Amino acid sequence: LLPLLLLLLPAAHGEVEHVQYAPFLTKTPVLEGLTTGSTFVLEQPRCVFDKYSDADIWLVVALKSTAAAFNNSVLPGTAKSAFQNFPSTAPAYMTLNATLANYPCPKPPGDITVLRVGSETNCIRDEARPTCNGPLPGPGPYMVKFLALKGSEPVAETDWSLPIMLRTAKSPNSISTTDGGHSAGMIALTTILSILFAILLAGLVAMLVFWGSDACGGSSTFSKPEAVTVRRYNTHHVYDQPAARL
Amino acid sequence: MAKSEDCIHILQGLLVFGNVVIGICGIALTAECIYFVSDPHGLYPLLEATENDDIYAAAWIGIFVGFALFALSILGIIGIIKSDRTLLLVYIILMLITFAFEMASCITAATHRDFLTPNLFLKQMLERYQKAEPDNNNDKWMTEGVTKTWDKLMLQNHCCGVLGPSDWQEYTSAFRVTHNDADFPWPRKCCAMDAQGLPVNLDGCKLGVPGYYNSNGCYDAISGPVNTHAWGVAWFGFAILCWTFCVLLGTMFYWSGIEY
Repeated sequence: LLPLLLLLLPAAHGEVEHVQYAPFLTKTPVLEGLTTGSTFVLEQPRCVFDKYSDADIWLVVALKSTAAAFNNSVLPGTAKSAFQNFPSTAPAYMTLNATLANYPCPKPPGDITVLRVGSETNCIRDEARPTCNGPLPGPGPYMVKFLALKGSEPVAETDWSLPIMLRTAKSPNSISTTDGGHSAGMIALTTILSILFAILLAGLVAMLVFWGSDACGGSSTFSKPEAVTVRRYNTHHVYDQPAARL
Repeated sequence: MAKSEDCIHILQGLLVFGNVVIGICGIALTAECIYFVSDPHGLYPLLEATENDDIYAAAWIGIFVGFALFALSILGIIGIIKSDRTLLLVYIILMLITFAFEMASCITAATHRDFLTPNLFLKQMLERYQKAEPDNNNDKWMTEGVTKTWDKLMLQNHCCGVLGPSDWQEYTSAFRVTHNDADFPWPRKCCAMDAQGLPVNLDGCKLGVPGYYNSNGCYDAISGPVNTHAWGVAWFGFAILCWTFCVLLGTMFYWSGIEY
């Protein structure tokens, strides 16, 4: 009886149970968009709030620097926890309201159970939607935790997550397009072709310079034109002789 | 005497054969360059927008050089068979001019191929894809060309960006100006599409769940055809020129031996 009383006592005094669980970015499957410029993807808190079947489970998003300033007794949907006031006047905002029915335990194998923080873009400036799951305003680092509320009383919370940094985009002007260099093939091609062309030009010049001279006509190979003339002459004679005989 | 006659005949035969090969290769070069200029892969707008489309200029030169080679080879065959000094001199000079043009084409194709790096296409894609406000008509033309080409590339090759979808996250872009990061971490065309051309699972695509988006980069799909184009023009031209060099040397040798 005594242990039971001891258990009930903290609840009666409004103590918030601290669940040993820290939210983390989804590990399986590997997601390309795990963190983008303004969103990140958390694993759903399955089998964490099993004792609180009638509580609302909220996600609290804070900057690493403002997490300590968040008070569990702040109610969702108020100015102190509105997305639109984060991070200027609200140290954190509360969003992604769910109940235990949304997080059935155990998690079926193969299911992708994620929460995309920052996916609602139509309520960014809508003051009537303070629990908007809007895109995050900067690269962070952010820390998140889950808070279970029964009515307006917080009953359980998880640990703060590790700091989550979002991606920052560089300007395309930083891309260098001039450091390609020349490939070996191109250099070889240019060199060889230039040499070949130079040899041909030299040959042409040599041809034209030696046009008039017989300097190259001395060897036996080039007596061919003379042989042709002689042969024609012989043929002429051969035809002549029979005619002469007749 | 008979032996020297045989030598002459052999030389003539070799030169005629050489010219026949040049003629055939000239036709092949023209056909190959016409194929490249017709841009079967539709990548010309990307090169036009980089203002680095000289591999196309090289292909255009190749078309005319190929035809010139064919015509000159016929001239050469006639000149060799007739042993006509004037014809052969005209042949040699015109061949040298054609040689120079083809050399320019090969070197241009090889040099400009080296400029087409992934970074060049990445920068151009980030600056022009879906750019909302072009500066002038020329800019508008190039932007439309780049956008249409990238859309077609990403759909047909099931790829995204130059190196991957992360390109859109790592750098700001013209696309990012009009499409916010939460709704469009990468363009819709990077999503796996169904038969109607709609994303199979838009949330899966935005999250980056394997199977619902294209995870490869498109650089391979671009560089493959461009490389084939540039190396086809450059190295085939180089081979023709080496052969032409030998034939021309032989013709010069033959020419200097003809009695006039």
